[in-house]
Amino acid sequence: MTTIAVPLGAQAEQHEAEVVRRPALSEYLRWSVDHKIIGVQYGVAAFLFFIVGGAMAMGIRLELWTPELDLMASGAAYNSLFTMHGTIMIFLFIIPMWAAFGNFVVPLQLGAKDMAFPWLNAFAFWLIPPAAIVVLLGYFVTPAEAGWTSYPPLSTLFSGDGQTLWALGAHLLGISSIMGSINFIVTILNMRPPQMTIWRMPLLCWAVLATSIIAVMATPFLAGALTLLLLDRVAGTTFFNAAGGGDVLLWQNIFWFYSHPAVYIMVLPGMGVLSEVLSIHCRKPVFGYRMVGLSSMGIAFVGFTVWAHHMFTSLQPELRIPFMITTMIIAVPTGIKMFSWLGTVWGGKMRFTSALLFGLGFMSMFVIGGITGVMLAALPFDIHVHDTYFVVSHFHFVLFGGSVFAIYAALYHWFPKVTGRMMNERLGRIHFAFTYFGFLFTFFPMHIVGMLGMPRRVAVYDPNFTDWNQVISFSAFVLGFSTFIVVYNVIHSYFRGPVAGANPWRALTLEWATTSPPPVTNFAEDPIPFEDPYGYGTEASAAYLDAVDAAFDAEPPATDNS
Amino acid sequence: MTSYVDRQEKAKFGSDRDAEMRLKNNRLGMTIFQASWIMVFLALIVVNWQLRFSYAQWPPAGVAPFDPLLPSAATLALLLSAVLARRGWQGLRLGNSALFLMSWRLAMALGLVFMAIIALEFAAVSEAALATQYGITMRLMTGFHLAHALAILAVMLRVYRNGARGSYSGDPRDSWPVEGTVKLWYFVTVAWLLFYAVLYWIR
Amino acid sequence: MERNRSNIPSISPAAVVVAAVFLLVSVIGVNWFTTFVPRVLPPQASAESRSVDELFYILMIIGGVVFFLIQGMLLISVIFFRARDDDRGDGPTYHGNPLLELVWTIIPALVVVYLAVISFNVWNQNSEPKAAVNMINGEETVIRVTGARYAWTHNYETSRLNPEGEPIVINSGDKLHTYIGQNVELVLRTQDVIHSYWVPAMRVKQDLLPGDPATGGRPTEIRFTPVRVDGAAYPAEYPIVCAELCGDGHGRMRGTVIVYEDEAQFLAQFYEPAIHAILNPPADPVLRGEIVIQEYICNSCHTLDSLGWSSRTGPSMNGIADRAGERVAGQSAEEYIATSVWNATAFVVPGYTEQMASFGPEQTDANKMSAEQLYAIVAYLCTQGEQSDCDNENSTVAIPAAIKTAFGLEVDITFGQGDDAGESESAPSGE
Ligand code: HEA
Ligand code: HEA
Ligand code: HEC
Ligand code: CUA
Ligand SMILES: [Cu+2]
Repeated sequence: MTTIAVPLGAQAEQHEAEVVRRPALSEYLRWSVDHKIIGVQYGVAAFLFFIVGGAMAMGIRLELWTPELDLMASGAAYNSLFTMHGTIMIFLFIIPMWAAFGNFVVPLQLGAKDMAFPWLNAFAFWLIPPAAIVVLLGYFVTPAEAGWTSYPPLSTLFSGDGQTLWALGAHLLGISSIMGSINFIVTILNMRPPQMTIWRMPLLCWAVLATSIIAVMATPFLAGALTLLLLDRVAGTTFFNAAGGGDVLLWQNIFWFYSHPAVYIMVLPGMGVLSEVLSIHCRKPVFGYRMVGLSSMGIAFVGFTVWAHHMFTSLQPELRIPFMITTMIIAVPTGIKMFSWLGTVWGGKMRFTSALLFGLGFMSMFVIGGITGVMLAALPFDIHVHDTYFVVSHFHFVLFGGSVFAIYAALYHWFPKVTGRMMNERLGRIHFAFTYFGFLFTFFPMHIVGMLGMPRRVAVYDPNFTDWNQVISFSAFVLGFSTFIVVYNVIHSYFRGPVAGANPWRALTLEWATTSPPPVTNFAEDPIPFEDPYGYGTEASAAYLDAVDAAFDAEPPATDNS
Repeated sequence: MTSYVDRQEKAKFGSDRDAEMRLKNNRLGMTIFQASWIMVFLALIVVNWQLRFSYAQWPPAGVAPFDPLLPSAATLALLLSAVLARRGWQGLRLGNSALFLMSWRLAMALGLVFMAIIALEFAAVSEAALATQYGITMRLMTGFHLAHALAILAVMLRVYRNGARGSYSGDPRDSWPVEGTVKLWYFVTVAWLLFYAVLYWIR
Repeated sequence: MERNRSNIPSISPAAVVVAAVFLLVSVIGVNWFTTFVPRVLPPQASAESRSVDELFYILMIIGGVVFFLIQGMLLISVIFFRARDDDRGDGPTYHGNPLLELVWTIIPALVVVYLAVISFNVWNQNSEPKAAVNMINGEETVIRVTGARYAWTHNYETSRLNPEGEPIVINSGDKLHTYIGQNVELVLRTQDVIHSYWVPAMRVKQDLLPGDPATGGRPTEIRFTPVRVDGAAYPAEYPIVCAELCGDGHGRMRGTVIVYEDEAQFLAQFYEPAIHAILNPPADPVLRGEIVIQEYICNSCHTLDSLGWSSRTGPSMNGIADRAGERVAGQSAEEYIATSVWNATAFVVPGYTEQMASFGPEQTDANKMSAEQLYAIVAYLCTQGEQSDCDNENSTVAIPAAIKTAFGLEVDITFGQGDDAGESESAPSGE
């Protein structure tokens, strides 16, 4: 393939004419319809919520240092703490964080100028701050204390106004997520330049497509569930009140019909990130590209049929078995991804950048969460460990060990593109070491206390578990500390990091075929992607990469710090 | 120096090709939105359906079933209204602006008839029914549907007013508000047909 | 630039050796892993726990293999496939291998099918209703469990009759008494929110679902059969835990399963004494009150040192009799306590909220309380204090009078007066 020189030439010419500068910081605080600005807005907001939710987790671990209630005023105060922790982490951190990377990277990877609906994009983002305010306000009224799952009748007949605000906030966030996802689907299906065929699409785009399909089909159920909850709370209906003919299992069915698929909303983009990061930093094509792309769709599809595995102790016994079977099936498409990544890494030339370390960390931790997931799917065993710390451990392994590790990998990987500066790799490795081991020693022992008999969502526990809990809490503080390293690294690198250049990782996907940061319109004209987004190791790819370097490195450093 | 945003808008949304693209995006976006939002209506159908199991029979003992007569008339009106809305849009595309306006007037009137009848039904749910989920879910579903119908009818009205001022040429590329509204009105119709079947026929 | 153009990833002989070693290590590792199984699980105190643990053992083996496989491959890659510092080249262009992909689709699929089948078998075995449940003295007994914020109540509906010819109901509070080999089947109901009845040592758990009280709630069942645990001293005790978030006191919502060695021990140490106590309540209302108050869930919200309660949802009952006289103007201490129990919302102690459940004759299940029981409870609480505001000398007169003023009910104070008392006190559903 030799078609590459033309469009790159055009890109380079454009930069000749117009010095690309970083948007001023103040542009990030304003309404903007530019996908790159919106991406950063999402990212920074989500990260702030991560700190807030993480600080709450620190509170949880502090309380659990002793088996007695000592830090909190009451059990209810503890309940509202983990309710907010779960809600913030899921609705205000992970989901918006993937919208951040999706927004910044996907149009660039496709070779598009922007998202399909720029205005809607901005609107979806700007729904988040008011929603967050509503949710957090609830924390200062009579806080919601029914967990992030908000099972009625605890959440309807037995809790205060905070619960209403919680539901309102979650409603807004759900709508924001639907709007964002419609935008992603249309962008990915419609906005590709002619040469970007669907089978040339980078795997992050595949993953975001699958994620968005889940989000548009599942999130409306959350909207339905929350509508009923609000009506029960404020309008006196009895959908969940047995005394009026209602049914508490109704909530569980509708809520989990959304929330199980939602866990894949939270991890699929991470899996997309992993395909990018592993391939680029190991200098090898993604093994089995098509299967990796299609397995995202497989997970999305099967994910809709498993919701009742969260209800193994409440569902009618006859109905439990089918959900056990569908749940286990998910291991197959996920396994395909796992093994394909191993195949990608195997025989490569790994550069141990921080991004790659977090990518490998993902594989090593997520697999544990996946295995415990399959254990939970085994109905008789789940009966024992349902609603214990075993479950808490499972979902932190997939959510932190999976999603958050992937978020860190994505951060180190795309930071140069976003800001034009490199992150500090040495600090990145230190950050990785603290996070990896802090994480492992925080969450692995939770399996054991859970199996031994410690339920979740308790501030007061059997004193026999004190030693384990202190190990967990100590490690959690180490994990919390590790966050400071990355915060420092980001801020420091933003101002002082070495200038990145267009393509510091020598990657083939299109976001690297423009300056860092990219100009307002991304590309001067439709770029022509390299024939294979991950075709490392061929002469053609080397020529392409050299051409990219030549096109942009002649440029003066493309940053001026305003 | 022009701000980042200004430059970006100039650069991004100028050309003819962009207009084509916008139309394509709008159409696909509308389809996905409809697929997505119909799920909320399905969720409410699930609610209705699961709550039936709380009762030995449906409608529950001592509650008279809803009479499908008037709602059937309303359904007919709505269907007709959707057909008219479509005819208006076709008229506009052929450049027949008068046909467009007339069809939409009728469509909106029929929509109002539909809404009036359903609102009446909503109000007329008996005390006995309201003591059970039979009545409560009925109000939930009709109320939820009415809210959507009302909002979209308001959009229709607005588009109609603009149309009367001649804002739409009939070229799909600059008449998206008309096309989009027609599609939303279909959505209202389809959603209603689902509810209609569940509320009045499936026992 | 150096570039590897072969189509197969290069595997050095060293990698092969490492892979072999790794296989060996993982076999040993998985073996070693599974030796931990007994240590990470509670004692196996029921027949169900044995099959569940067997399943867990298999899950551990399969999970262990997957775990070691992935981590091992990662480790090998990290060691062998790192780029040397001066190597700026790419790895081999290797796009995939359909055969390999098929293999790693089919093998997990088979594993999953296998897991589903064995889980299904264990589930069938454990959930099947058993014949001859809750046998006591050769008869089936109904054992009902009520969950209420934040306590468990167990009721045995026995076939013994009290002098009026009504079946005696033993209320054993938050304790479930059973014996090795008894097929336990509990009927679970909740008074308020969802709770979950979990006995870790038995590996059983079931949610309690709110249902319409008018139709008797929405009972759910849980079944298990206690078995002998080697080295345990009998009667053995195992915790009951509430596993579903139910509010403020969720973490304290606990109970105990007491497993007796055999039916004889069960009868001698629990059943017969309990029946005897019901048929022959102590004549002294205070002593009676001490028994009665423990049949209710007061301990789940209140602190009372003399009974070892330590909950903090409600105000402390330590020294309650010293305060009761001054709480509400014009109410005697007896009246105040009686009203607090039956009609807690009449006066809400400053600093607390209206969380206390209502007790009384018209309540159902665990909250049903007769005037006679109230009498006993008030008598008992009246002794909780240094210089009680109550008229403890004349309690047999003062308390019935207070109940009469507060609720207009006559208390039959003859009950419990002697061994062959005409009126017998049979807990909640005795009326
Ligand atoms: C990112 C989020 C995420 C992800 C990806 C998953 C993935 C999975 N989860 Fe998890 N889950 C949660 C988030 C997530 N979960 C949360 C938040 C909860 C708790 C909610 C609450 O109650 O608050 C939960 C709870 C939960 C439960 C309910 C537990 C209970 O409450 O009793 C169950 C039960 O089946 C379950 C199962 C699974 C399974 C089978 C997978 C599978 O997708 C995992 C598949 C992956 C693998 C299996 C590893 C790779 C595969 C191979 C290497 C192939 C070979 C492997 C085998 C053959 C085993 N999860
Ligand atoms: C993406 C999701 C996500 C993430 C990243 C985390 C991260 C963490 N979680 Fe969370 N967790 C959930 C999602 C998540 N959690 C959910 C959904 C629940 C269920 C809630 C429910 O039951 O309803 C839950 C519940 C939960 C529990 C169970 C509570 C209970 O059931 O009683 C615990 C207990 O240890 C816990 C701990 C932690 C810890 C230690 C971290 C750590 O990884 C956090 C690391 C810390 C930081 C990243 C912050 C560091 C910052 C500072 C230290 C700054 C401090 C600064 C100031 C005070 C100014 N979590
Ligand atoms: C769900 C929790 C809960 C349960 C169960 C409960 N209480 Fe209470 N109790 C409270 C709370 C909260 C208050 C304070 C608010 C009020 O006065 O209503 C209270 C107040 C009281 C008072 C008044 C205390 C004072 O200092 O004036 C008495 C007496 C009392 N309870 C007795 C009982 C008895 C006896 C039982 C069992 C039969 C019981 N409670 C069960 C929560 C509970
Ligand atoms: Cu009862 Cu938790
Ligand atoms: Cu799930």
